[in-house]
Amino acid sequence: MSPILLELIVLTLGLALLLVESFADRLNRNTIAIIGIIGLALVFLLLQFGGFSSTAVAGYTQDKAALFFKKFALVTTIIVLIMSIDYSDTVRKFVHGITPQAGIGEFYSLPILTCAGLMWMASATDFILIFISLELVTVSFYTLVAFTRRNPSSLEAGAKYLILGALSTGFFIYGITWIYGVTQNTNLTAIAKVLPSIPASDQNGLLFGAMLVLVGLGFKVAAAPFQFWVPDVYQGAPTPITAFLSVGSKAAGFIVLLRVLEAFQSLPAVESKLSFAIVLLAAATLVYGNLAALPQTNFKRLMAYSSIGHAGYLLMAVASFGALDAGLAVVVYLAAYLLMTLLSFIVLIIVAKNSEGDDITHFNGLSKRSPFLAFSLLIAMASLAGVPLTAGFLGKFLVFKVAFESQQFLLIVVAIITVGCGFYYYLKVVRAMYWQTTTGTQTAIPVSLLSTITIGALVVLIFLFGIFPQLGAGLLS
Amino acid sequence: MATLNDYLLASGLLFTVGFAGVLLRRNIIIIFMSLELMLNAANLSLVGFSRFHVRAGLPDYNAQVLVFFIITVAAAEVAVGLAVIVALYRAKQTTHIEDLNSLKF
Repeated sequence: MSPILLELIVLTLGLALLLVESFADRLNRNTIAIIGIIGLALVFLLLQFGGFSSTAVAGYTQDKAALFFKKFALVTTIIVLIMSIDYSDTVRKFVHGITPQAGIGEFYSLPILTCAGLMWMASATDFILIFISLELVTVSFYTLVAFTRRNPSSLEAGAKYLILGALSTGFFIYGITWIYGVTQNTNLTAIAKVLPSIPASDQNGLLFGAMLVLVGLGFKVAAAPFQFWVPDVYQGAPTPITAFLSVGSKAAGFIVLLRVLEAFQSLPAVESKLSFAIVLLAAATLVYGNLAALPQTNFKRLMAYSSIGHAGYLLMAVASFGALDAGLAVVVYLAAYLLMTLLSFIVLIIVAKNSEGDDITHFNGLSKRSPFLAFSLLIAMASLAGVPLTAGFLGKFLVFKVAFESQQFLLIVVAIITVGCGFYYYLKVVRAMYWQTTTGTQTAIPVSLLSTITIGALVVLIFLFGIFPQLGAGLLS
Repeated sequence: MATLNDYLLASGLLFTVGFAGVLLRRNIIIIFMSLELMLNAANLSLVGFSRFHVRAGLPDYNAQVLVFFIITVAAAEVAVGLAVIVALYRAKQTTHIEDLNSLKF
């Protein structure tokens, strides 16, 4: 069976759900989300047990990393859809249509199309396919970020994301142009073969192209100094989409970055300069993300800066690309990041729906009102900060290990300081939940069955990864 | 006869003009036009490179296929982008980026 079938199934599912939404007026819109979740879960099972041939087609590979990132995209989208069901009341409030259900169906279908783009990107080894799948993801995100169109801050976030996303596309494609011009190829495998025979006079053009590609990807993964869109867009976008952006879009940027770097390994003269640029990016990102997070009072904005900080740790692993386990460190860190970030956002959506706001003060006294939610968010925050026995610790441990092996001592010093900052701002949320008293209502927050199961599963997985790293590694491979 | 360098120079100029437009102009529609200019700079240099990479007497058509993809993607981006800008204008009666300042801490 050809592995490309999976993407086609996901794409068909998304388009079919859009058709259902157009023609079945009376259908309860949550059914669309449930169908989507079941469909994606089936694709996940098919991917796990389908026995796909691993033979690579031109520009399309099906190696272990590709398999992992496909599963990653599917799990992220499933959890985002579960969040969207909880969030649908807010969407309904800000999208006025002829019928009371207008707009909800699209809000459930578009993430599935984004998922297809993410899955394609996991396998793409040709710049043409990388570009198209990246754009499939980005253009659907433009729509989703600006989706709640009667909410001015969502629209503003959409416009900002649109301009900076298109700018990064411009840099990315111009970089591809120059790499193509020097190597006469768009396929990364072919480029890796041609690179050693590039004359020294042409290497400047190649370096120029590779740097532009790095800038374009820097926007996608939210690396400083290309991070300035992140806080505004994360705060303004609908919360499930913020979660999707911070997990899916970042992972996609990193897989492309790894593939491009892998191709450039065959030309050390250019590769060493690229690695140096990535070290600088990683240091700037770590410092900016973690220091700017300190004074934040809005939870979504805090998560935005935290997402920049985590991009820094991931870039640190990428900068140590020569080390044996660097790829594994990126993969484990991303898996841990998925669990803890999605867990934080799912709790945020439930709490924000109940208390009409997403500032940290809205979490005051949560431990008295809903001990389960407060405990889950405590686990998420502890894992994000990197407390031992959680998934976040395992990820940070591996990142530090590969950085040590490739002797990135500057980065290690910076990262140790920023981990300390991280403890301060993540524990600020914990303090609000456990030590502050609420002024508002004291009643427990209702949580739907589906969300309870998801939250429970995420908490269990965070501990499982942290306590039995071997088990986690087994799940990943 | 124009050489490859002439094409690259023209495309570099287009890219710079586009980037400068994004940085300096304050109207979102004009910024959006400048972004399209940057994509077209990439198209021009791709076609230039393709024309001068002769393989078996023919230009290398890989790059020209990529150009068609870029044109299509740019069209999709414009479709979504203009919709967002129109919705923004309806909500705020403005297309100036100085007025987009409600998201700050």
